[in-house]
Amino acid sequence: MTAAAATLQRSLGALRIAVKDRDGDTVLDRFRQEGCLKARWPRPERGGWTSAVTLNSAGGVAQGDRLDTAIRAGPGTRLTVASQAAERFYRSPGGDPAHVRTALTVEAGAALEWLPQETILFDGCALDRRLAVDLAPDAWFLGVETLVFGRALMGETLRHAMLSDTIQVRQGGALLLHDAIRLHGPVQDLLDRPAIAAGGHVAATLIYASPDAADRLDALRAALEPWQAGASVMQSLLIARIIANDGACARAAIVAGLATLRGDRPLPRVWSC
Amino acid sequence: MTTSTTLPLLLTWLSPAFPTGAYAYSHGLEWAIEARDVTDEATAAAWLADVLAHGAGRTDAILLRHAHRATTADTLAEIAELAAAAQPCAERRLETLAQGTAFALAGKVWGAPLLAAQAGQVAYPVAVGSLAAAHGVAEDDATTGLLHAFAANLVSAAVRLVPLGQTAGLRILAGLAPLITAIAHDTATAGLDDIGGACFRSDIAAMRHETQYTRLFRT
Repeated sequence: MTAAAATLQRSLGALRIAVKDRDGDTVLDRFRQEGCLKARWPRPERGGWTSAVTLNSAGGVAQGDRLDTAIRAGPGTRLTVASQAAERFYRSPGGDPAHVRTALTVEAGAALEWLPQETILFDGCALDRRLAVDLAPDAWFLGVETLVFGRALMGETLRHAMLSDTIQVRQGGALLLHDAIRLHGPVQDLLDRPAIAAGGHVAATLIYASPDAADRLDALRAALEPWQAGASVMQSLLIARIIANDGACARAAIVAGLATLRGDRPLPRVWSC
Repeated sequence: MTTSTTLPLLLTWLSPAFPTGAYAYSHGLEWAIEARDVTDEATAAAWLADVLAHGAGRTDAILLRHAHRATTADTLAEIAELAAAAQPCAERRLETLAQGTAFALAGKVWGAPLLAAQAGQVAYPVAVGSLAAAHGVAEDDATTGLLHAFAANLVSAAVRLVPLGQTAGLRILAGLAPLITAIAHDTATAGLDDIGGACFRSDIAAMRHETQYTRLFRT
């Protein structure tokens, strides 16, 4: 495919979701889907939680794609957002990065879970992704992002890629976290470096923001102890970082970490199919 | 260009004797040594090179440069907020905020109005950049100086903790000099959007250090 043809095939997607509280249930307030981004609504869980499952009908993300998601959890609502499948980022021969923007707003007394499945990066991909989380002072948020740098078991390696992946969390307007992952260049060589990943192929970040964050630290640390991982708390934000050699190992660590923060609620069904 | 009047300022502010308590911070290196990731001169040099090029070194260079260019207290406050939020864990946040705040306090001897106007704690590179700008110390020189001071402090920690001989420590520092020059050069045109890195294992080491049983260092 020529560079010009690739440009013509660029995918655009926009997704807007807002939920509101109606007599203790979380119900849809506004919903708009455009282009390749879609969402579907599995049957509500018990306990007042509602789930949305997002999907990218383009089947992957490539050069110059633009994906824009905004999700608002209105006062007192409880919403879990998961993705139908892992998101794949393919080669960008022209180097024009795919732009992925996600804005999550969690209003007073609301709870939002952002539980996408893995982001799988292919050789030569270029990704500029930003996740902005805006929390009311008493809002509850749990999020996870998993980067798979070439699937080791499939024999894939990332010789070269350009990755900028930023998570910003604000609480009551104040900036709590600006976690910027930046890997430009010979990614596999960099991952082999001792202070980067020592050969690991997966990096995951778990973020939990809630007034009770500090009380959850010991349990999260205990859950992650067997893995190549660490956790810490800063103000009302809990953060954990996990490095693993393959996706299955990373997922086991994430599932263990999520279990300490979500109690006995089951993981979104899409995580197990 | 550093003049004969500004060079002594930079040497004073970035000296290990300047009262920031730098000797107490290992940036997670103490855990990396406990975990046997760093065991000798070669592994210490490789670890420090990563932290400089793909971790706090490069990010702090960018933060210093933008703090140096800030002309109002509000702009400096925004950079300070970003610098504090860019830390991956509690101890790294302590490391940069405690040193930066101590640096700003000691810097009052020379005076830096924008820095003095900051309400809360200020991250170390932001404090250094602002004081340097207030006294005509060139941005490039302050950036190179900060990277060197950071590297020298971690080399000193490695010498004490691995332990390494003094000569081995000096060899590491000498070997890192071209990297320090390159990072200073490469960050000259970087925006605040360009901060960030990929030192996942260094971040995990700093997190794990928070519960390390026997420790000499605060981070």
